[in-house]
Amino acid sequence: MERYINLIIKPKLQGDGGEIDFVSYEDGILTVLLQGECSKCLIVDRCLSWIESEIMRDMGESVKVVARKKKPFFWDKD
Amino acid sequence: MAHIKVVRRSMRPEEWTDLRFGWLKRYIYEEKFEIENLKVRDARQVTEMQYDYYPEGWRNLHKGDMYFTPDGTAFFDADVVIPEKLRGKELWFSLKTAAEIIVKVNGKYVGGVDPNRDRILLSPYIDSDYLHFEMEGYNRSKPDDERNPESLSVRGCRQIFEGAYLATVNHTVLDLVYDLELLLDIAKSDLFNEDYRSFLNREINNALNLIDFDDLKNEDVAAAKQYVDDVIYANDDYKGSGDVALIAHSHLDIAYYWRRIHSVQKNLRTILIQLRLMDRYPDFKYTHTQAFTYEMLEKYYPDVFEELKEKIARGQFEPVGAMYVEPDCNIPSAESLIRQCMYGQHYFREKFGKTINNCWLPDVFGNSWILPQILKKSGVDYFVSNKMSTWNDTNRFPHNNFIWKGIDGSEVCACVPPTHFITWNMPSQIQENWEAYQDKNLGGQTMSMFGYGDGGSGCTEEMIEIMHRFKKLSIMPKTEHTSGAEFLEKNLKDNKNLEKWDGELYLEMHRGTFTTKSKMKRYNRQLEFKLREAEMVSTLRHLKGAEYPGEELRDIYKKLLINQFHDILPGSHITPVYRDAMDDYEDIDARLDKIIGTGEKYFNSLNFPRKHLTFIEDENGKSIRFGKQGNWVIPNLPALSCGDIPWRTYAGDWCEIGKKIVTPFYEIEFEYDGSIKSLYDKELDREWVNGEFNKLKLYKDNPGVYDAWDILPNYKDREVEVKIISPLKTVEKNSEVASFECILGTEKSTWKRIIRVFRQSRGIEVENQVDWNEKHVLAKAQFDCNVLTRKAVCDTSAGFVERETHRNTTWQQARFEVCHHKWVDMAETDGGIALINESKYGVGLLENSMSLSLLRATVRPDVTSDRGHHEFCYMIYPHGDDFVKAEINNIAYEYNIPLRKADLTCENSFGELYMQAMKMSENGKMIVIRLSEQNGRRGKIKLGGKVKILNFLEDIVEETDTIEYKPFEIITIGIET
Repeated sequence: MERYINLIIKPKLQGDGGEIDFVSYEDGILTVLLQGECSKCLIVDRCLSWIESEIMRDMGESVKVVARKKKPFFWDKD
Repeated sequence: MAHIKVVRRSMRPEEWTDLRFGWLKRYIYEEKFEIENLKVRDARQVTEMQYDYYPEGWRNLHKGDMYFTPDGTAFFDADVVIPEKLRGKELWFSLKTAAEIIVKVNGKYVGGVDPNRDRILLSPYIDSDYLHFEMEGYNRSKPDDERNPESLSVRGCRQIFEGAYLATVNHTVLDLVYDLELLLDIAKSDLFNEDYRSFLNREINNALNLIDFDDLKNEDVAAAKQYVDDVIYANDDYKGSGDVALIAHSHLDIAYYWRRIHSVQKNLRTILIQLRLMDRYPDFKYTHTQAFTYEMLEKYYPDVFEELKEKIARGQFEPVGAMYVEPDCNIPSAESLIRQCMYGQHYFREKFGKTINNCWLPDVFGNSWILPQILKKSGVDYFVSNKMSTWNDTNRFPHNNFIWKGIDGSEVCACVPPTHFITWNMPSQIQENWEAYQDKNLGGQTMSMFGYGDGGSGCTEEMIEIMHRFKKLSIMPKTEHTSGAEFLEKNLKDNKNLEKWDGELYLEMHRGTFTTKSKMKRYNRQLEFKLREAEMVSTLRHLKGAEYPGEELRDIYKKLLINQFHDILPGSHITPVYRDAMDDYEDIDARLDKIIGTGEKYFNSLNFPRKHLTFIEDENGKSIRFGKQGNWVIPNLPALSCGDIPWRTYAGDWCEIGKKIVTPFYEIEFEYDGSIKSLYDKELDREWVNGEFNKLKLYKDNPGVYDAWDILPNYKDREVEVKIISPLKTVEKNSEVASFECILGTEKSTWKRIIRVFRQSRGIEVENQVDWNEKHVLAKAQFDCNVLTRKAVCDTSAGFVERETHRNTTWQQARFEVCHHKWVDMAETDGGIALINESKYGVGLLENSMSLSLLRATVRPDVTSDRGHHEFCYMIYPHGDDFVKAEINNIAYEYNIPLRKADLTCENSFGELYMQAMKMSENGKMIVIRLSEQNGRRGKIKLGGKVKILNFLEDIVEETDTIEYKPFEIITIGIET
């Protein structure tokens, strides 16, 4: 799963100025760290659902993607 | 008694107007027919015209479906039979989208939709009742156009499809909408007369009162429109002032939050949109920069390029900016900037028969003092750049229309428009421009650019429609929609009133771009010199009968120039852009190695004797530098010659290593961290150190949103502790060099410093091997020199610039970090210290201190920026006399150009001038030699015969047998073969 995130998903998110890092995968829960543009995206849930469907298609696993967001200090106002 | 703040909860009259204006917009489309058989296929772009497709293939796309993927391109397809009720009517395609979509109908490119526009006129392309749609969209979760609030609200990789339609437009409604856009902008802007704004608010309300929004009738809308004409436009009691030229453009970053491959379609979409506006509005003129973008269009979309050529010939579409791309103008060398002009101009001449006489760099992060000469000799009389007026953080740049005097005395007419280069042509923006304009009554008109940009897009129908209404408003400044060239010729040419700015156009912002993405800067420097060598070697071989690889060299040069784009080389881009650039650099490096080849003997490509210590790689060598074995030798090679360089072992003990390190030149006391406590110069009998010297300093570097771009003046507030992991120890001592090594570090990073002292050189080299894993940290090497001076001298790559080191006024305060090239020098009249580098550009100068910027660790736009392994070096070079007599520039050239093998010689060396380039002319008929005066001197070189003097475009200007040069002049000569 970590390899999949790094090789398949990460380059795509980086193409949008985002960044994703694998944190853990336990009991069907895939936890990822989102940085860059992803960290402040208001509609990131749509992207997480897309990641779930990509994993289902490519790896045949049903996962729930949970994101931790790490905003840089200059966007961390709320 | 408690105080209760009175809050108005009822609707204000202005809010009631806004509400009704929103309702009115709902009636822009009269009839709509939803295209329900649209299919979509997801993909990801992998090269300029190639895509990886998702395995799902084509699927139906209905309103409410999710579409687009991260970094995704989507292809759309639909066959539509025009419904009977719409046939014969003016027909539009409507699609509200956050993506950038190119629309092709029945095989013809009809335009584009994006967050700034949602409809395309179809009627001119309809020749039957059947329409075949092919569309390509690139999703844009990008920050460009974030000045447009409507596009901001739809950002994100995954979008909800809002439906695609065939539609007819109610022009009565649309006309009134444009009137109200215009009038409400004035009514809401406090830049305009308060009484007029009250008048507008009242009369707009009166006009809208004529419409019953519960039962909207066309005749009521027409009546409201008539009211606007009769009451608002007819009123000329309120007089505005000013004279503003409106120039349409679109700023297109070749790469930024997108890769270079994406700019192919961004450019197509932008150009298509402008061409279609020209079809509809014959008075509309649009400017477009960068020969590279035209080249891409020609290569990938030849049909649209042919159409573009027609519009250029008609004068509607105007190529501006003589350069190949809009490059950074701090870091590229003089020769690179010359090539930007030469390759740009040659393209414009070849394709359009035009030499562009302006340089158009709206977004560039400051401009080197060497530029005016380069422009002038490249057929460019005018310079346009917006940044200094709108982005300076400390001082207001004092001119907008002025003369810019360059380092050599060349002058160009310059325009730094008073406001941002991205506006949407609203009255308030035009009024703001006029009010900010500082050359009223002297500079003629002020320039206001309009059009969305960063990722292209450009002008909209709305901008033009609104512009057509300006003349109806007496409150507005006088406006004229004109071309870029017309504006410059009309207002700046022969204008004796223009003030003069003599100096660099330093941008008081984005000072971090001299340092961010360190590896790119290093590659760029190395490859600039390697290209010089490759052209020279190829020319000399050509004279001996070999074929000159002109096309290959041109292709390589262009690749380097593209990567000097102002969001690539400065480091302000996302991760994939960095990867592309590094791939390009590796490719260029390998191709140049192949061209240069090898030989039996070492070739001195410099046109002065190579007599300073240098490192030559040799697998049997006695020393190691950057992990490679070799020897430190003095080549003693005459100018432009080749020879053997024997390495001889020196038998004497030249270096005493104890508490002090004693060399033939110095007595040095090191600290454990590699900094120098004392550097006593035996030859000059003086101490060079006065404080921290060669001290590695790390600072918390939190500049804010412009993370990759900026270093703030408060960076020294918080220092990061640097620990000594392994204290300085001797690691090498042979007949030429003694090396000392220490390892420093933080919790996340390690920093190995190898410091070398030499038997035959005054230089002290510092090699750095860094595993860098910091975040928001700036690394500098600090040098507090025992020198009393108020200025430092910085190399520009074609001459030097003196910079004050005091902080007396805000102008010096703002320049706390400046750009330099190969060296910086701080001296008294009889000696000083030069810092010579092979890849660093940022330096801080304060009183007697120099702080060389080494590394940064920013997170926006690239979270991974600069993390990883780095290696680089610099040389501390104390010297007697001034930097010219001490030959610091020569030493810096030798330090930057490694000796390579090639069995070649050249008889002419051209005396005191630096040979910046030797190449075959682009037409292959002449040897072109570029000579640069870099020491601030005047002189003559008598030649054996006549040569041609060329401009930088390789046009023959005159013939001479004597080169007469003045300080900092760059001279190009052509010798016919």
